[in-house]
This record gives sequence, structure tokens and C-alpha cells, in this order.
Amino acid sequence: MTLGGGAMTNTIPEISQYSDVVFIIGSNTGECHPLIAKHVIQAQSRGAKLIVADPRMTDMANKADIWLRLPVGHNITLLNGLMHVIIKEKLYKAEFIQEHADGFDDLTRAVEDYTPAYVEDLTGISQQDLIAAARLYAGAGAAVILYCMGVTQFTYGTGTVASVSNLAVITGNLGRPGTGVCPLRGQNNVQGACDMGGLPNVFPGYLSVTDEKHRARFEKAWNTQLPPKPGLRIPEVADAVHQGKVKALYVFGENPVMSDPDNNHFIHALQELELLVVQDIFLTETARLAHVVLPAAGWAEKEGSFSNTERRVQRVRKAIEPPGNAKTDWWIFCALAQKMGAKGFEYQNTQEIWDELRQVVPEKWGGMTYARLDQVRGLNWPCPNEEHAGTPILYVGGKFTTPTGKANLKAVLFHPTGVAEDKIKEFKNPIVGKIAELPDREYAFTLTTGRRGYHYHTGTMTRKSLPLNQVGPEQMVEVNPQDAAVLEIEDGDYVKLTTRRGNIAVKVWVTDRVPEKTVFTTFHFWEANVNELTVKDTDPLSVIPEYKVAAVKIEKISLAEAKALYLEKAQKYRVELEQEVVAEMQKGWRV
Amino acid sequence: MANRFVIADPNKCIGCYTCMATCVMQHQQVGLQAYPRLQVTHTLAGTMPIQCRHCEDASCVAVCPVKAITVKNQSVQVNETVCIGCKMCALACPFGAITPYGTLPPSLREVGTFEQYAYVPEPRWPAPLYGQSGQTTELHPLLAWRIGQKAVAVKCDLCQFDEAGPACVRSCPTKALRLVEGEDIERLSKLKRSGAAIETASNVE
Ligand code: SF4
Ligand code: SF4
Ligand code: SF4
Repeated sequence: MTLGGGAMTNTIPEISQYSDVVFIIGSNTGECHPLIAKHVIQAQSRGAKLIVADPRMTDMANKADIWLRLPVGHNITLLNGLMHVIIKEKLYKAEFIQEHADGFDDLTRAVEDYTPAYVEDLTGISQQDLIAAARLYAGAGAAVILYCMGVTQFTYGTGTVASVSNLAVITGNLGRPGTGVCPLRGQNNVQGACDMGGLPNVFPGYLSVTDEKHRARFEKAWNTQLPPKPGLRIPEVADAVHQGKVKALYVFGENPVMSDPDNNHFIHALQELELLVVQDIFLTETARLAHVVLPAAGWAEKEGSFSNTERRVQRVRKAIEPPGNAKTDWWIFCALAQKMGAKGFEYQNTQEIWDELRQVVPEKWGGMTYARLDQVRGLNWPCPNEEHAGTPILYVGGKFTTPTGKANLKAVLFHPTGVAEDKIKEFKNPIVGKIAELPDREYAFTLTTGRRGYHYHTGTMTRKSLPLNQVGPEQMVEVNPQDAAVLEIEDGDYVKLTTRRGNIAVKVWVTDRVPEKTVFTTFHFWEANVNELTVKDTDPLSVIPEYKVAAVKIEKISLAEAKALYLEKAQKYRVELEQEVVAEMQKGWRV
Repeated sequence: MANRFVIADPNKCIGCYTCMATCVMQHQQVGLQAYPRLQVTHTLAGTMPIQCRHCEDASCVAVCPVKAITVKNQSVQVNETVCIGCKMCALACPFGAITPYGTLPPSLREVGTFEQYAYVPEPRWPAPLYGQSGQTTELHPLLAWRIGQKAVAVKCDLCQFDEAGPACVRSCPTKALRLVEGEDIERLSKLKRSGAAIETASNVE
């Protein structure tokens, strides 16, 4: 939308080799991307400077030269403040903007109000720190921005992403080694899944389904008719079920019962379905509610390729046979399609599928043969032909892939309680943000959510690992020492967290990692899943839910009360069922 | 010679917990308590794992009523099969480096609300039996207990059973951990003495 693509513009090793300044915003890089954090640490020991914007004292925040401890939800305030300083002090790259960007005037007007004093007022970040950070970032020879879900999981996440790209564009930090805008992907292959069209609105290669030209290309390749209408996005599914528009749901590689916001709403929707199929490697909380469970093969049990966060496609090879009746996902889909009478699903192996992709979307993957991928440690797309060495850095020379070839600078406005109508009218298509649910008298704390280093998402895999369970045996909620003193709770006590949507019992971790009036917990544990509490309001553009802010009430409870709540959750998530099935399987019983 | 110990550099530690998970696996494989013997600790001043410093005059050794903790091979070692789980050493250690770990006594089991549901499959990797040859993934028979697992004092043993040395040091992605040998301390002190002498000498008019 702003630059022309949705992926890391640069590669990971450039951080340690070339970046002079690393700006991390909304990413707990140390815990969630330790191998990328390693490059940041190496850059620091080379003399690079680190700026971190995070409400939480993440380990990277602790190591930062400047740590901007903004309140949860204020990314846009901060980014607009930084750009305000950069524009006022004429630290931007006028030539680069003139040649390669549109909308600078709009942007200048949009950030006009975000003076250091105003930003300090709203966020508590000192004017000194804000100005120092702006000068440091804009003054760098090569500065890179790393961001993650702390930027996107808001109802105005798209706006924040646009702001991040605005900042990089006006300082000319794109298209050169060690620069760039880098969204860090949370999974080994989530980039690959999106690349392959695993989104409701695009074909492989991010080719929009609404575009006739693109549709024609795939209709020809697949010899079939393709619908011109984008599908539903995950947060829209529950409502569609309630409205009777969706009658069957096929879930694979996902555990939405645990990971969807306000999951009670979602669970009710599942009960209305005529058919729920879940394909997974374990009997997840979602699979336990399914009519049909299809056992899938794990990553070490299949062939194919993964595309990592830096757009690098790498081969994965089968190390062991899948257990029992488990089959790879592609095999299951093809078998199902054939059963339904569809044509064109007669693949024998993953190479045939990959070669088809290379033929249909050559501009991105044409040159990536399996033979080449076998020889090198992956290639970065675009790689249009076999002579092409891949593209580690996008937009070299300021050539963006937008229709105009220029980067779009977008006006982005934000205020926690909303921006005045008059203000909005001053701009052409601005992105406007406000927080969906602010704390009030009853729900006095801000709840924010995320992951911990040792568990992965809904714990489907990591909670089956003894070492990881020993490191992180149970859910914890981080509470600031000041708040703990006021609430008279101690480290290790149990509290009940209640929002307008649900409640959970959690053990308290009293720590400076969270600022006052803010608590943090995760969605790893069914015993206390934070997604019973989160709000389901979404970004109107990307439909990402606002996982990062909700208003919450905290009450100290006794152990007995905590236990009673766990027993309730055990029933809700049908925990015994997994234990029963596992016990049966150990006796040799086949599903 | 001074005792050896593993210590982390808080400037390099990124709080990723890899060392803790490695420590668990390492000990599980030889039938010792599968519990992390170092604990990543986050403070405003910095993050680092904390583990036993293998003190020269170790208070844990001094308080142990059954002499389960001894100094040997330039380190302080708990014999987990002798330990009676009295927790005195954990109270005495100034670094919080000892954790009593094992099955909770029945009177306390109500407390372990999570444990009731924790489902952990049998480990798949083969491992040598502690102190003997043969293949098993079982806990050492003396650590296995009527309820499940004997509660004992668990602390860093420098992976003394592994010729390759401390596993946490090898697994850290940022090389934040290192093993400090007695010789290193002597060398460092020597270096510091030279530094002090140079400084003093060059400041004398
Ligand atoms: S593995 Fe290294 S970086 Fe990670 S927590 Fe341990 S000491 Fe820190
Ligand atoms: S356990 Fe504590 S007292 Fe004993 S040697 Fe280690 S650090 Fe010292
Ligand atoms: S040296 Fe061995 S026992 Fe000690 S903390 Fe490291 S891995 Fe654990």
C-alpha cells in the first residue's frame, strides 16, 4: 500500500554487517526472534546504536541506547512525534523524497501537531529522548526498523505500519544494505503461506483476486473459473457462522479456539457449524470440538520449502516417516479434491507443485529450481530466472513497486479517544486510529498480550516438550511492583483477571517489565488463556484484531478459587479428551 | 586452585531461555532431575541467568546435615541421591542458586494446580543410564520415588558428567555464557595487579 510489498525489505545478516542504527518498535526480539536479536547484539558490539520503543522492559529495551517507554497503543503518537522533529530540524532527505515519494505535504501537515511537548503530554516520553532518537535515526548512514505484532495488533495497525514506512522513506532508509523496514514474522513459514496466496484476497505472489488480469492468468493455468470476490478473514468467520453464511469450517495448522480474540464468541460459533474438520499434528483445543480430525505430518516428516521472514526460500527434507496414518497437508488436500471430482490435483510430489508455481508466477519464483535450492542456502524472491541471484534488498535505487513507482507517504492520525472530524477532513484518505477499549473505573488496568520465549503460540507443540515445560510450567501475569503494593499482592499469588468478555485465574509475577497500570500475559495456556479476555474489534483494513489493548480488572483470589476456575477451563477445553485419546493410542489404538 | 563456575554477560544475554531448556535436557538424558539449574532473571539493570557460583566457602556445603553437598573437582556438587530435601541449602545460598525440585508431598499437592493436568509425553531420545552403561530415559532409581520423584536440592553441577563441558555455554546464541576456570581468575588478578601498578607508577611524580 505504501511501498508496494508486504515483507522484510532487507535481510537479517545486514543488521550485524551494515546497520548503524537499529530501531526496534513493538517487537520483543530477544525472546521471540532470538536469532535476529543476535545480529542486533553483534551490530551493537560493532558500534551501532539501538533505539527501542516498547511499553515493556524487554531485554532489547534494556540494552537500548535510547528506550522510549511509551504507553500501550501509542505507536503512532511516537512515530508522528519522531517525524515532526525530523521535518522541523530538516533532517529528512529532500532529494530522495522528491524523486521517490508522493504525499510529503500531507505527511508534513499530519505530523505538525505532534510536537515533542504534545508527545510528552500524551505518552510521558521526555522531549529530550524523543529529539535524541529522531536525530539518531535520521542521522544514521544506514538505519533499519524492526517491528512485529506490537505494531500490527491494533485496530489502527495498518496506520502504524504506514507510519513506520513513512519514517523510513523520508529519511531515505530504503534500498540500501543495512536499511529497510522489517516486519519480523513469527513462524518459520508464515511468509511462505502468505506468498503462496494463503490469504483470502490474493493468489500466489500477492496477485489480487479482484483484478481480472490476474484472475485470467490463474484461470488459464488451472483451467477453471475463479471467484472474483475475496473470502472471509479469520476474525470475520465467527460472525458469518452466526449469520448462517458459513456452514462448514476446515481448520489446519491453526488453533483458533485458543488464538482468536474473545474466544467464547468463537466457540459458540463452532457449535452452530454443520461440519468442522480439523487437520493438525496434535489434538488441539479446536480439534477436540471437531466432527472430523485428519492427522497431519509434522515439519520433519515432509518435503517442500519454507520461506522465512527475509523472503528466503529454503528446502526442507523429510527426516522421518510420519507416524501412524498421518499424511502431509498437500496430500490430504489433493486426495480430498480428487474425491470431490476436481481436476488438476494429480501431483506426485512437492517438486511438481513448486514447478507449477514457478511457471505461473515467474516474476517472483521463476528462477528457483529445486536443483538450485539444493545447492545454495536459499534464495530471496524475486528471482525471475535461473541466472538471477535472488533479491536480498528490495527497492534498490528508490524504485518502489507501487503503481506509480513511488512510495506513498500516508497521513496517519491518532488520539486514544479519537481524532476530531475537522482534523480528519483536512486530509485526503488519512488513516485514523483510536483505542477500542480504554481503562475506566471498574476495569482500571490496561491488559496487553504476547508470547514468552519458551512457549509457542497456543502451546500445541511446546507444551508437549519436557524441557520447555520445565522452563515455563504455567501462566503468569506481569504486574508492576507499585501496582502490586497498592493491590496488596505478592509475587506468586493468584489473581482473577476480568474483562467485559471473560475471566481467568493467573499467578502473579511482580516485575518491572511492565509499566504501572499495565499488565501482560500470554495465550500459551488453556488454564488461563488471555484470549478469553481480549477484544475482538479489528483494523478495518487488515482485519487484525486488537490483541494488544483491553481494559481489565484485577482481584486477588485464593488458591482454592484459582483451582476452581482451572477445573472450569479444563471442562471448557475438554482437556480429558486429549489425555484419553493419548492413552488409547499408547495402547496401540488407531484413530 | 579456585573453583570453576559459569557466568553470563548481561550485555550479551537477550533473555531467550535457550540455556534453561538445554540444561533440562542435558540432565534428563543422564537420569538426573530434569529441572533448569540456571534461572534467567530480568531486572531494570539487565537480564542474565543466575546459577551457582561454586563458592570457595560454600554456605550450602556448611549447612547440609547429611553431607550431600561436597567440594570436588574444583566445583560444588550435590549428590541428588543422598539429599533428603530439607531445603537448608536453598535458604543459605546467597544467590538463590538452589531450587528444591521433585514431587510435592501429598499434603501440599493441592497447591500444584497445574501439575494435575500437565501432560508430558515420554521422551523419545535415547540416553545413557546415569553412572552405568545401557540405554534408558528413566530417572535414576534412587531419585524415582513412591509418588514419582524424590524432592531434592537441584543446582548447577557444571555438567560434570559431560566431557564436552557446560551445555548452557554451548547453546547460548549470543555467547553470553562462559566457564570461568580457576586459572582464569589467577590470570585476571595478575592482569589487574599490573594495571594497578602501571596506573600508580605513572601517577607518581
Ligand atoms: S541462552 Fe544466552 S542469551 Fe539466552 S537467556 Fe541464556 S544466557 Fe541469555
Ligand atoms: S549453591 Fe549457592 S552457596 Fe552453594 S556453592 Fe552455589 S552459589 Fe555458593
Ligand atoms: S553448567 Fe550445566 S548444570 Fe550448570 S547451568 Fe549450565 S547446563 Fe546447567
